[in-house]
Amino acid sequence: MYGFEALTFNIHGGYLEAIVRGHRAGLLTTADYNNLCQCENLDDIKMHLSATKYGSYLQNEPSPLHTTTIVEKCTLKLVDDYKHMLCQATEPMSTFLEYIRYGHMIDNVVLIVTGTLHERDVQELLEKCHPLGMFDSIATLAVAQNMRELYRLVLVDTPLAPYFSECLTSEDLDDMNIEIMRNTLYKAYLEDFYKFCQKIGGATSEIMSDLLAFEADRRAVNITINSIGTELTREDRKKLYSNFGLLYPYGHEELAICEDIDQVRGVMEKYPPYQAIFSKMSYGESQMLDKAFYEEEVRRLCLAFEQQFHYAVFFAYMRLREQEIRNLMWISECVAQNQKSRIHDSVVYMF
Amino acid sequence: MAGDEGAEIYEEREESMDAAVDKETEIKTEGKEDENVLQFLDSLDGYLTLMDSVNSKLREGWFDLASARHSMGTLRINSTLLDLKYHPAASTFQVTDQEVGSLGSVPRFALSKWVSKGGGSPKGKDFSTDTDSEIGSPLSQQLRHRGVSEKPSAKDENTLAADEEIKKERAKSLSVFGGLVSPKLRGAQLSFETALETLVEIANMRASMLSAFERITEK
Repeated sequence: MYGFEALTFNIHGGYLEAIVRGHRAGLLTTADYNNLCQCENLDDIKMHLSATKYGSYLQNEPSPLHTTTIVEKCTLKLVDDYKHMLCQATEPMSTFLEYIRYGHMIDNVVLIVTGTLHERDVQELLEKCHPLGMFDSIATLAVAQNMRELYRLVLVDTPLAPYFSECLTSEDLDDMNIEIMRNTLYKAYLEDFYKFCQKIGGATSEIMSDLLAFEADRRAVNITINSIGTELTREDRKKLYSNFGLLYPYGHEELAICEDIDQVRGVMEKYPPYQAIFSKMSYGESQMLDKAFYEEEVRRLCLAFEQQFHYAVFFAYMRLREQEIRNLMWISECVAQNQKSRIHDSVVYMF
Repeated sequence: MAGDEGAEIYEEREESMDAAVDKETEIKTEGKEDENVLQFLDSLDGYLTLMDSVNSKLREGWFDLASARHSMGTLRINSTLLDLKYHPAASTFQVTDQEVGSLGSVPRFALSKWVSKGGGSPKGKDFSTDTDSEIGSPLSQQLRHRGVSEKPSAKDENTLAADEEIKKERAKSLSVFGGLVSPKLRGAQLSFETALETLVEIANMRASMLSAFERITEK
């Protein structure tokens, strides 16, 4: 019953909620980002990060550093935090935490399949996979020739199996089919996660519904913009949109027929939460759209911590860490390319 | 006596004529040297401008690539996705020797982008730096029309069709990163494409610069 979580939540979830709120306090602040933005090279960044929670992960890395090394090591911190929480969690929190991994599993599956199509070495591909998305039979993905084989040989025993019902075909895997498979799987995953959160109910359902709806809407906009000028038909584009969110169903109807960024803007400005996002951009421009969406996402994720006794704080923490790693990647790239004046184009501050 | 005086006058006239011819030849030679020096300086200026341009385009390209990686994720844009299967080159490069006026024989570099993958005539455009063949140029042989014609000419339709093919080839090249890529990645592709064209222009400019320098130094 909503409102009475305070009576029972702490029995099973109290310890982990305290842990995740402690982790949240360790996220980088604006002062940390200001220091990082003034670094002259990647070794300076490493030095500044040594005073943060990432210190122990970067301290043994030899110079010269590369931006991918910084991202990999910071991701290890995220993975360690996640695994610690997962091993302490009981049902239904453990299932909730597992759901957070499925997005990364989909990305890893697509990476392996795409790399195999391009005749890359499987070992090389496995090293690039996201650690949160690893599963036992992932290396076997390289033998599949089409989606039906992919499902039958490997994915039937994984948590992604239920998401394959909409994309089981015998067509050979090519770049466009793989892209459609990626987006179809992600759509099914988001809808499943949404239903799971609804089933949990309470504050978890209320907050996660908002966060997942925003995610679904953002994906719809990105799919629309990225498919402009490609061979993806309007019907195929519409099939990739999730069946929930603020834009469902009328916004999706209009987005499916958009042919340029200004038409997308025209659709989105009818929805007040997104009008504020698009008002930050000038006409014909899409460069700042990603940053605007990330800022809105961070705002909603930070608000999740304002309420207690729900699981959304775990989702919010994981997403905030991922955003932080994206920020560090961006700062590192700008420093490495001597483009420090452009750092603030994409850094999203959290606190 | 008169004959001797006549012969002397004739010799003096011949000498003065020879001196005038020598002076004229000297003026022509100096003029030619000045022309070579001017050509060299022009080529040098063009070379330096093009070097700045290519550096700027490459910076822009790398920055756009980083933006695309930030937008799409490091898993979607990385070197492990590049295609190792045998495939024909998207662009080809030809080197020929060309006689260019006073500069003599100069190597000429030409880039053909987005050539047909299946052989046959290239669908793409030849980006050699011969600006005299551009439509609308004062030296162009094309007739210029006043106003706007309502029906597109056959040449316009061919150009449109070629542009569409090039657009498809560009999208095909980017498909190694997925079927739906960020506009930032497409921007990076265009920046690197422009940088490649500029590099070919630099090669041509450098060849003419070196040839002009040789002309100046040979005596």
